[in-house]
Amino acid sequence: MTNQIAKVEDVIWRQIEDETVVLTADGLSLHVLNTTAAFIWELCDGTKGTEEIVSILCEHFDVVPEEAGSDVNDIIVKLEGLGLVKRI
Amino acid sequence: VLLPDSAMRVQIGDICCSITCDDREVAGSLHESYKNFISDKPADISVRLAVVDRLSAAEIKPILPRVEAVQKDFGFATTLLTFEGEYDAASRTLNMIAEKHLFDPSLKSRIMNRVLPLVYFTACGMQNGSKRPAMLLHACAIIRHQQAIIFTGPSGTGKTTIARLCGDTHGHILNDEMVLCSWPNGERHPPIVRGTPILGEVAHRLNTAAPLRCILMLKQAERTSLRRLHQMEAYLRIMCQVIAPRHFNTAHDDVAAMLLQNTEFSEILTEKVPFYELEFTLDKDVLWNVIAELEESLTKGELVA
Repeated sequence: MTNQIAKVEDVIWRQIEDETVVLTADGLSLHVLNTTAAFIWELCDGTKGTEEIVSILCEHFDVVPEEAGSDVNDIIVKLEGLGLVKRI
Repeated sequence: VLLPDSAMRVQIGDICCSITCDDREVAGSLHESYKNFISDKPADISVRLAVVDRLSAAEIKPILPRVEAVQKDFGFATTLLTFEGEYDAASRTLNMIAEKHLFDPSLKSRIMNRVLPLVYFTACGMQNGSKRPAMLLHACAIIRHQQAIIFTGPSGTGKTTIARLCGDTHGHILNDEMVLCSWPNGERHPPIVRGTPILGEVAHRLNTAAPLRCILMLKQAERTSLRRLHQMEAYLRIMCQVIAPRHFNTAHDDVAAMLLQNTEFSEILTEKVPFYELEFTLDKDVLWNVIAELEESLTKGELVA
């Protein structure tokens, strides 16, 4: 599970009033990301795995690695389930 | 495209569509439906309709709810074979076969409502790639004081009810089902709302345009009131009302580009245009008083909370 995480091709996202809204590639579902999910979403650029994302999250937020690791895994699993990110 | 002189040409925004039909009665009915949108411009795309009379209205009525349209690369078919079509890109013609009684007004099947957006998007695709000159919105629009108000929301929230409460007294109904919206003069100016030939529940449909004043997202309720929507709420709600772009032989990249255009359009619209949630009852005097007060506030440059 050390794969890098990338946004799914053709997913569209926009910043609306400081929040991130993501439209699935089929155009059928819109998702509003909370602050943590939006931060992780930005890092899903196909070059970073979960460990690196956890590390960056710990640098930016007052959070211990165990907690950050759990959050990152949960959020990436959710984003994967929604068809927004994939492991490459 | 060379067209027979007898073809009826219907204007859908910037797109002119020629429609020919081999059944005099159906052709007459279509002509009556689209009389406000008859155009003498050169056709961008054609629909050639062959009518068959295999099923009676009584036979069609019970199966209508089960008829599903399946789109193919170059056409569409229906699960119960009531109508189908194949698009010939070389002649820019959609060749359709349809049961005659699908056009009976009493059945309200409105199959041309499914065809015209496809034809519109296909013609736009030929002219502008994936970029559409105007967006199709699932909405009712009413012109008051030379400006358009869009009333929109999911099916069943009251677009047609608003049109009926408007009647001839409180404004001019552009359309109660679908309108076009665009920025022909640039984003510094108000967007322009244009009527479409798409059939709604009310007979009024105008082939005219007006600058957009505001957008009201509908909610039927026990009282009539307005609530200003934040951009995010407005964005999430209007995105659901922008008609999903589909056209014949849509390339994968085109679909992505068209969806992107939907998101950009919705973002700019929610930035530039005031959005409100309108809760309303069937008391039309109260309704139009509330809207008149809103118009007055917007004219003064105030934004109702």
